[in-house]
Amino acid sequence: MNRRGGGLLPRLTSLLPEPATIQRWLRSQAKFLSFFLPAAILLVVLVIYPIAATLTLSFLGPDGGFAGLQNYGSVLGSPDTFNSACLQQGLPCGTLLNNLIWTGIHLPLTLFMGLFLAVLLQNVRGASIVKSLVFLGMVTPLIVIGVVLRFILEAPIGLVPGFFDWLGIRSLAVNWIANPSTLLFGLILGTVWSWTGFSMVVYSAGLTTIPKDYFEAARVDGASEWQIFRKITWPLLRPVTLVIVTMTILWELKLFDIVIGATAGSQQGGVGGAADVLALQMYRYFFIIDYNRAAVVATLLTIFTLIVAVVLFRRLLTAPRRKKRRRLTPSVRRMEARRVGPEEAGGSEVVT
Amino acid sequence: MPILVIAIVAVVIVSSLVTGFAVYYLATPPAVGPVPVQVIGPWAGSEWSKFKPVLDKFKTVTGIPYQYTTSRQEDLTPTLPISFQAQQSPADVIFMPSATIKQYATRGWVTELTTTLSPSSYQPGALDPLTVSGKIWGGAYTGKVKPGFWYNVSYFNANGFQAPTTWAGFVSLLWALKNKTGQAPILAGDGVGWPLSDVTEHFIATYGGAAMHQALAQRTLAWTDAKVQAVFQNYLVPTLQNGFWTQPLTWNDPAVLASWWGGTTPPTHPLYFMGSWITGMVPNPNDLGVFSLPGGASTQGIVFAADYFFVPKYGLHQDLGKRLAAFLGSEAAQEEQVKQGGHIATAAGVPASAYPTVDARVAGLLQGKVVLADLDDTIGNPFQGKFWSELQKLWATPAQWQTILAEIQAAAVAQP
Amino acid sequence: MAWGIGLAWMLPFVGVAMVAFRPLSQTSFGWWNLSPFTVTVDNLIAAWNNPGCPLSLGLRDSFLVALPATIIPMFVGALAGYGFARFQTRTRDYVFLSVVLLMAVPQMMVAVPVYNLMIALHLVSSLWSLILLHSAWGIPWILLFMRNFFRSLPPEIEEAARVDGASDFKIFFRIVLPMSLPAMAAVVVFQFMWVWNDFFFAQVLIQNANWYLSTQCVPRLVGQYVRPFDLLSAAAILTMSVPVALYIILQRFYIRGLIGWTIKG
Repeated sequence: MNRRGGGLLPRLTSLLPEPATIQRWLRSQAKFLSFFLPAAILLVVLVIYPIAATLTLSFLGPDGGFAGLQNYGSVLGSPDTFNSACLQQGLPCGTLLNNLIWTGIHLPLTLFMGLFLAVLLQNVRGASIVKSLVFLGMVTPLIVIGVVLRFILEAPIGLVPGFFDWLGIRSLAVNWIANPSTLLFGLILGTVWSWTGFSMVVYSAGLTTIPKDYFEAARVDGASEWQIFRKITWPLLRPVTLVIVTMTILWELKLFDIVIGATAGSQQGGVGGAADVLALQMYRYFFIIDYNRAAVVATLLTIFTLIVAVVLFRRLLTAPRRKKRRRLTPSVRRMEARRVGPEEAGGSEVVT
Repeated sequence: MPILVIAIVAVVIVSSLVTGFAVYYLATPPAVGPVPVQVIGPWAGSEWSKFKPVLDKFKTVTGIPYQYTTSRQEDLTPTLPISFQAQQSPADVIFMPSATIKQYATRGWVTELTTTLSPSSYQPGALDPLTVSGKIWGGAYTGKVKPGFWYNVSYFNANGFQAPTTWAGFVSLLWALKNKTGQAPILAGDGVGWPLSDVTEHFIATYGGAAMHQALAQRTLAWTDAKVQAVFQNYLVPTLQNGFWTQPLTWNDPAVLASWWGGTTPPTHPLYFMGSWITGMVPNPNDLGVFSLPGGASTQGIVFAADYFFVPKYGLHQDLGKRLAAFLGSEAAQEEQVKQGGHIATAAGVPASAYPTVDARVAGLLQGKVVLADLDDTIGNPFQGKFWSELQKLWATPAQWQTILAEIQAAAVAQP
Repeated sequence: MAWGIGLAWMLPFVGVAMVAFRPLSQTSFGWWNLSPFTVTVDNLIAAWNNPGCPLSLGLRDSFLVALPATIIPMFVGALAGYGFARFQTRTRDYVFLSVVLLMAVPQMMVAVPVYNLMIALHLVSSLWSLILLHSAWGIPWILLFMRNFFRSLPPEIEEAARVDGASDFKIFFRIVLPMSLPAMAAVVVFQFMWVWNDFFFAQVLIQNANWYLSTQCVPRLVGQYVRPFDLLSAAAILTMSVPVALYIILQRFYIRGLIGWTIKG
């Protein structure tokens, strides 16, 4: 529809698509919406609107008026959130630092344990049963994991104090639940125990994607096992590591149940607030009907998780442009590929 | 293939319908017989079996059945405001600390009981913690005294130990016990924190005096004040630093009884600080001895912690709730409760003969002392939770007592 | 070596089981003291009938929430996933990516408004509130998972059916869904496990002791003066038994789902 000259109206209408195109477009939208609508309604009402509402609440005062960054100031300034005195006096450090400490210890340990177990169990008989046992910690409710840890950490019923008592190490033969530093580190080690199943299974799956002949060729060339690991396994597992790191950080930030389970339902994060975490702090504000500060903590938590998620997304979106079709790179590009063979059934590429 | 599809769709539809209907029908249980009054109290196990006769008596007197649920105060603290905000209540009568009931009252969540309960049928002042400008928002039930250290009399006699009468005597008793067993002589109760707060209050009420305890409860005195610091520095903290206390130990019957009371072997931690409910927990209450901290200020106090109840505004049956409230405040109900042992009445007119002998001994400790309300119950949450967890920290790291007092003071100031 | 690790990893669970299945008098000074050794189910029965929070009701309520909260989002999510897989445009890709990003949002971010919403709908302390919330919350990952699965299916069959005059919905229900059973199974096991294991949403929305879920019962099985480890361990065993049993039966779907959920194996 390319007419020359003419008045203003025809020229404007010429910018619009043909009625038939609009109709086709509408029909396609309708078709798509009829599939997407139920999900969209649930998402908008119970996820997207609440997120926006929480964000709004975090800027409002208790009277409903605009309060600017006042709530943020009062939450971040509270020793519950950030206790600078903990550098000299030890725990508690506040929720923000506790989440940071948790991540700092838990992340490297689970990565290492998972990779170690995955490599160790690579060619062992009965490995799948051992993996299932290790994975059990992932299946169990986190609140139960918290309770389970009591039977490990608490004196006199728990194993750890009894063990150190038997060894004669008095300083560690204490009730781990009732001491600030042992409580936090005991719980961190407990989460390492329960979460390692995840990194192990994912690493195991990553290992199976490395072609066997890579290893054989390297062995023929006389490379040591450590060299094989350094030069082949580790670099090829990098994308897998990235995914595990992201998932683990997201999980660590949302910790809540395990602290409640291990401290007998105390809402204070255990002795002196030593194992207090952001999610628990949000819950505390919530149940004293201090919605605004609850919203602030929730928003902070969301900012952290979104940063982590976006970093992963960017890496996954840009990776294929650098190395096209490299087999091991999990890439959105491959998700985008229109046709994938049916043998890929049940699989998906990437997920945060 | 079509059969498979039909089968799947059928399974899904049927299971959805079944669960849907199940949820719907279970959500509205059909009423059979008279409507029960719903009660939430903190007592479980042996404690509950002592409260049950009271509710049974209510049922015989009024013909109203009851439904009792155990829920600790720590569990109710987060859930009650949330359900009241939704204009719901989990029960018709709920036991909570007095300060919490008053907080709820200011939010309009509590039914007024001014016409239901009368201060004249109570011991003087028993309803004061629940009264705001002439309006009564809840009732006092029976209470417990937190008198001091409990011990096994037979064990003490057999080994030549005696209850101390001076602070120096107390300290030397602790050393003697420690030398005998090679372990910390005092068993510190519970990993949650309230037994530690009871201990701390006892030290304050004894060596700081009744007035200091009251001033701290009214928050007119700072925890960082030199007088308060002196009580910690000279009395409580040294006992912690000398290793007289065990790690805070969660009460589980066999372990605590064996290490404090003894059994087949002599006790390893022969002293235990607890409230008077302990009289119902030992195998032989007549062998139970108790002493308060010796020496101390001229006007000492002793903590008497009553249990308080209220009728929430959003309960399904407020009329039933009010009738039960009136009953729980009556002489008849409280007499039934004190008979069971471990409780002391707040209602007027309960005869001394109703108490078991052990409790009569406990009542003797009250002689000449000012009766005080529980400090952290009076202030309420969120101070209370913070206070408990700070005291747990004190037991773990006594050297930091000054920082901990500063933290407690900060929590007291922050309390609305 | 490998077996040693597996057994060492089980040690904490062994501890709980020891306390749950033996009288507390034998375990209170450490569950590794093996003499005397008596096996009993009294603790489990006590937790099952506990007056404070009976696990019998808790497990029932957990089932009543977890079953519909698995089935509803599975269908809704699969439907939407099919829409994104087969009717693709650039704009919809952005919508899709935003929905996927929702997976990173923590539960705490929606708690307060959802709670207020449920008050308005008179659904607080009703299991329906949890069913709806979990359904919505499960959609992003199910949508992503199912979309990726549908795209791996060859479109020829669908196109052939379309030529034969079948409508899109007919194609979806009669051809696509039956081919997706393995993927659906993975969705079911994971969604069920997450809903069952959830504690935070339940704490926020269920305030009535009659409707507590089993995860809510676990920290509540304690009296004011008594901290019964035997009850606690029994409740832990009962609560974890359901997801663990499901895991043992449907193990292969777990691993497949997890791999699909994270990377392509």
